[in-house]
Amino acid sequence: MPELELDLTVNGRRITRHVDPSYRLLDLLRDDLALTGTKEGCGAGECGTCSVFVDGKLFKSCLMPASKAQGTTIETIEGLSRPGELTPVQRAFHKTGASQCGYCIPGMVMAATSALRENPAAGIEEIKERMGGNICRCTGYTKIFEAVEIARDVIAGTLPETALNPELTKTSYIGHNTRRLDAPSKVSGRLKYAGDMEMQGMLHMQVLRSPHAHARISRIDTSKAEALPGVHCVITCDDVPGEDGFGVFVHDQPIMARGKVRHVGEAVAAVAADTVRIAREATKLIAVEYEPLPGLYDPEEALRPGAPVIHDYAADNVVKHIPLRKGDIETGFAAAELIIEERFSTQQVEHAYLEPEAGIAYVDHDDVVTVISPSQNITHHRHMLSTIIDKPINKVRFIMSPVGGGFGGKEDMIYQGMLALSAMKSGRPVRLVFTREESIMASAKRHPSRTSYRMGLTKEGRITAVEFSMLSDGGAYGMSSEGVMRKAAILSCGPYEVENIKVDTTVVYTNNTPSGAFRTFGGMQAQFATESMMDMAAEKLGLDPFEIRRRNMMKAGSRTHTQQTLNSASIDRVLEAAETASRWEAGPPNVRGANRSDLDGPDTRQPCTLGARFNEARHQIEKAKVAS
Amino acid sequence: MKRKMRGRGVAASWYGIARTATIDRAGAWAELDDGGTAKVLTGVTEIGEGILTLLSQVAAEELGVKPEQVTIGDNDTARSPEAAHAGATRQTYMIGNSVALACREAKARLFDEIAQAWEVPVEDLRSFDGFLWAESTNKRITMEEAVALCKKRGVVPVGSGSFTAHGTGLDPVDGHGSPWQAYVFGTQVAEVEVDTITGEVQVLGIWAAHDVGRAINPRGVEGQIEGGVVQGLGQALMEDYQTSEGHPVTHGFAKYILPTSLDVPQINSVIVEDPDPLSPLGAKGIGEPSLIPTAPAVMNAIYDAIGARIRDLPATPERVLAALHEKRRADAQTA
Ligand code: FES
Ligand code: FES
Repeated sequence: MPELELDLTVNGRRITRHVDPSYRLLDLLRDDLALTGTKEGCGAGECGTCSVFVDGKLFKSCLMPASKAQGTTIETIEGLSRPGELTPVQRAFHKTGASQCGYCIPGMVMAATSALRENPAAGIEEIKERMGGNICRCTGYTKIFEAVEIARDVIAGTLPETALNPELTKTSYIGHNTRRLDAPSKVSGRLKYAGDMEMQGMLHMQVLRSPHAHARISRIDTSKAEALPGVHCVITCDDVPGEDGFGVFVHDQPIMARGKVRHVGEAVAAVAADTVRIAREATKLIAVEYEPLPGLYDPEEALRPGAPVIHDYAADNVVKHIPLRKGDIETGFAAAELIIEERFSTQQVEHAYLEPEAGIAYVDHDDVVTVISPSQNITHHRHMLSTIIDKPINKVRFIMSPVGGGFGGKEDMIYQGMLALSAMKSGRPVRLVFTREESIMASAKRHPSRTSYRMGLTKEGRITAVEFSMLSDGGAYGMSSEGVMRKAAILSCGPYEVENIKVDTTVVYTNNTPSGAFRTFGGMQAQFATESMMDMAAEKLGLDPFEIRRRNMMKAGSRTHTQQTLNSASIDRVLEAAETASRWEAGPPNVRGANRSDLDGPDTRQPCTLGARFNEARHQIEKAKVAS
Repeated sequence: MKRKMRGRGVAASWYGIARTATIDRAGAWAELDDGGTAKVLTGVTEIGEGILTLLSQVAAEELGVKPEQVTIGDNDTARSPEAAHAGATRQTYMIGNSVALACREAKARLFDEIAQAWEVPVEDLRSFDGFLWAESTNKRITMEEAVALCKKRGVVPVGSGSFTAHGTGLDPVDGHGSPWQAYVFGTQVAEVEVDTITGEVQVLGIWAAHDVGRAINPRGVEGQIEGGVVQGLGQALMEDYQTSEGHPVTHGFAKYILPTSLDVPQINSVIVEDPDPLSPLGAKGIGEPSLIPTAPAVMNAIYDAIGARIRDLPATPERVLAALHEKRRADAQTA
């Protein structure tokens, strides 16, 4: 393909480059100029991690063809300040703790810088709107807003520069707001995530994924792919030298599909080649013959007799069932003066960490198979990989690269095995970086749940019995399902002491995208149901929602749902703290929103009508111009 | 009913700290290094939550140096001790405590040598923020000098620590067992505005009170609460991963909707400290628990505003309108 010649100015330097005409500005910056502070979170203009200035205007560099950058002046995160220095915006991010995983942060700093360049007097509402194109999955945005406001005031001179200094301590570092040690590397874009790393002689991997939800694989022919110039190796399950299988609780997932595929997007084969493009071409040359099998897409169907079987070892499709029994619910319901029965459901949720999965593997001079990746569980991963590649533990090494958001989603070893195998087969370092679409289809989600709930209470609001049953869709592989069900069961009935309970949580296999670990590990799904029930009961009994919770809450000496005796329980304190802080007006939860006196306080934000704040800001600027 | 209706709701929650229904363990090594700096090695750390900073604060406090003088080498199964995984709200509790224990051992080595050199009782020695001194004497040196003196006496001040949390498994029949040794509790209040024509819900305020045991870095705790609340809000109102016959339908961020800066309520965090009696630091954790009460608090608030109960997440505008329609139909029947 003919190369494109480009002349442009990047961070103050004139640059001439010959590039692939399919390049985006983002590729030019990252791959050719090694400016990896600009990140690729989605490649589709939706996340803002790739934000740069083009001729002074904020742009998403993933959306701009490199050819369009001809003759422009580009400024990236690396160009905002000299090495070792930080701008007031960056220092303010450091000060407030605005960076967590840091993956969104270079883009956020660019967007914040742009907002303050466009309007140095921007109010918080305008700042929010101007930064609305940048997603952060970690921080809840709050500390970012705080940082931008401080930076604005320091730049304007209405706050002294010392506002950016660290807080001092005289007595202790415990309880001290020590600034994040990793913030300077994150706000300046210096921190290298796995996808930013390069090694000498490094190859690029692409993965061939299943287009079927459930199918038998009768044949895989890799010969055409192997013959493509630039391809170093193609791997399938046949390249696994040891005992194949990984998973957090049950090792039911092969490194690549073995005999059949169980969900759309499952890895079937992988190619390591000189470039990403050659590797991608080669995956298209791999011939796979599938015989589609009947699929299961609903957890209730999975339990029906005669349902298709997803894993031979689990003929009933049940991954795990956790029962809890305490007291006697018949007695408990007999003593109840009010019985409420309800059903609840929660959806499958994507982690949406902004850093897509990425990693590099190599075999070192001592024959140690090494994998660098944002793995949340390097200890367990090395155990599993050592069995899979049949090497002693000290010949397997996992290094955890900076994690651009995990939330449980990077606990599963869904690609590190492929990297290791291809590094072993090719003798070269191999890197794989997922696209956003790949990340979404191949990684685990939060377990969706369906819960039937029966709760008995006395007139005074004391819970006498709970019958709780949750069914969850674990998808194609076990991953963390067992643990998620266990935690859902243990926490099910909430922070309340209940004498009589019958709790069952069950997770089944289907041919949906697997469910796995996700922040709260089942605790959220279960307690959503319980906390909804508490309010429904409070309404029926005419009780304030805090009051009904107090009447049932655990105390020191309480026996939990698993019959553990608690030494202490701070639920009384957190209830009181939330009640006081929110200036809660007591009363039953009987749709009294229209008459409450505790609404719309200074500790709430104003509702937003998009664009209104811009108009208001413009109006103010116009007014100021007229006045001056 | 007016077009825009407001309401408030509350939800409480609880959570266990560290791995569930099993024994949990983590290890760390520490060394007081030249120049009064320190090295700490442990097997797993940062996934964005701020644990690196927290560990450097713990090491600084235990050793008597400054957090920025602590180097944390980590995350390498071939070079650092086992600390297992970054999850289960276990990092502050498991790794924080193992680092504290490792540092105590390293400091004890140093203090033994200094006490002998100065001929003072070891119990009288203190160190903080780069200085070491003996109480009720005028003996005071920098940590740099202290480490040099220790090494001149032939001793490298190193230490190791291992921390255990004694969870037990659950009985397979009735589930009895002690899954965790430390529990945290939380309560959140949500204030919402519901547009009864479009069904859109805006969360305007969250008051989040969480017990964290002991807040080692209060700003970091707030960051975890704010992040958890906004993920909870996403699950409550918009996020919905969907498949059709196993094929992902929401395969990019154009289809999979995430909370942005415009969706964020004012978040008012209240940190409650009920120290853990079973560990050196007393700190417990906050990573996961902060997410739990948000969705039910928001659903209870929606009910308070419009009298429609959302039982199926997320409460998208379509679902809110459907629930409102259902309520109006039911109200008309009873009227
Ligand atoms: S907006 Fe460009 S990578 Fe997401
Ligand atoms: S800090 Fe924003 S995505 Fe992690």
